[in-house]
Amino acid sequence: MFLDPAIWGFFFEGLRETIYLALVSVALSFVVGLLFALGRLSRRRWIRWPSIFYIEAVRALPVLLLIVYFFINGSALFRPIFGADFELPTFWAGVLGLSMYSSAVLAEIIRAGIVSLPRGQTEAARALGLSHAQTMRSVILPQALRLMVPAVMAQLTTVIKDTSLVGTIGIFELLRQGRTIYTQFFNPVEVLLIVATIYFVICFSLSLASRRLELGYVPKAARIKIQDIALRDQAA
Amino acid sequence: MPGGIAFEFPQLYFTAFWVTIQLSILGLLSALIIGTVVAVMRVSPFAPLRWIGAAYVEFFRNTPLVVQLFFLFLGLPLVGFRFSTDTFEHIFRGAAIGMGLYHGAYVAEVVRGGLLGVDRGQIEAARSLGLSYPQMLLYVQLPQTFRSVIPPLANIGIALVKNTSLASTIGVTELLFAAEIVESRTFRAQEAFIAAALLYLALTIPLGIAVNALERRMLVVR
Repeated sequence: MFLDPAIWGFFFEGLRETIYLALVSVALSFVVGLLFALGRLSRRRWIRWPSIFYIEAVRALPVLLLIVYFFINGSALFRPIFGADFELPTFWAGVLGLSMYSSAVLAEIIRAGIVSLPRGQTEAARALGLSHAQTMRSVILPQALRLMVPAVMAQLTTVIKDTSLVGTIGIFELLRQGRTIYTQFFNPVEVLLIVATIYFVICFSLSLASRRLELGYVPKAARIKIQDIALRDQAA
Repeated sequence: MPGGIAFEFPQLYFTAFWVTIQLSILGLLSALIIGTVVAVMRVSPFAPLRWIGAAYVEFFRNTPLVVQLFFLFLGLPLVGFRFSTDTFEHIFRGAAIGMGLYHGAYVAEVVRGGLLGVDRGQIEAARSLGLSYPQMLLYVQLPQTFRSVIPPLANIGIALVKNTSLASTIGVTELLFAAEIVESRTFRAQEAFIAAALLYLALTIPLGIAVNALERRMLVVR
């Protein structure tokens, strides 16, 4: 049966969905994560405390819980905004669950990058007369984000692995397509091995690339921080 | 009160909470055992052992846990590894093994880092005192790694607590599963999931605070 090109087309459709989900989620969560990272570093308490609460609460929750929650309750959540008969598409329920979790993780990664820069950078910028916002935008963030590119790539591999969870809410990503195939042909061993191999090839090459990539000197404390984030927040 | 629904269905929620705790502890124990063995393989002087260890780590880290769990439950019985999936006990044990295999790969990386961090002079001194390689590992190299690896291992423990939710996909009635059951009975999705979320937070937040406190004290050592 594996000689049949239709089967491979089926896998490919799932793979496309997986990659699409992962890219959309990482893009969305990067923006949200950046906002929360800046919020957590803000000097205003009414911005800082909610940001800390969001980051710490969300990264302490299982990502599958968030995904299932948005699947079951997501429509009700958005009805006050989009009208009473709004139905959240399953795809976006998955994206919301994945990116909510990932945004908290990325916020921590970005914050680690910002904090790792020497204080002199901020002080020099401020002494030159730049405002706090200008300092962030044109001095701190360009450097910090550059340093954090490998960590963000590592987060992309995590999100790709996490997309395997949205099959449980009925998005036809790679694993779900595989499940359809093996319930049809009753060959879970072969199919799951193929699925695992596809995930492995993608994630392994991405993580190799992120390990090879060095875009500047990251201080030891920041490296330890990033490693801890990677260990604590790697979901499945 | 947020999470009050847990007290309307205490049988479901707190039994499931206990299952989550048990699964976390068993999973962490097996992850520690598997991880330590693989880490020792990865620093062994015998090259094929190192390759096997590296292959293990990279394979389990770069494939999703759900795929591994499905493989354990649907795949292995078909090729002759039958751990029966008929009773809850058996599914539970299988899930604990799955947790151990996946997180063991992460533990292995951490412990390997610790083993490599031990001063070479220590190893050479132990060997020249006449200790065999296994004795040296057991009495000199491993004990010295433990101190530096406790914070990262605790981080893996937090990840493991969260990842036990994936066991619901293969039918272990842990916390998330209980929330789904309550939701389907009452249609009070908001409350049902917030109760589960609070119970998860009750496990992960104290662990997180403990890790942060540990880290601040051990940053110097690492």
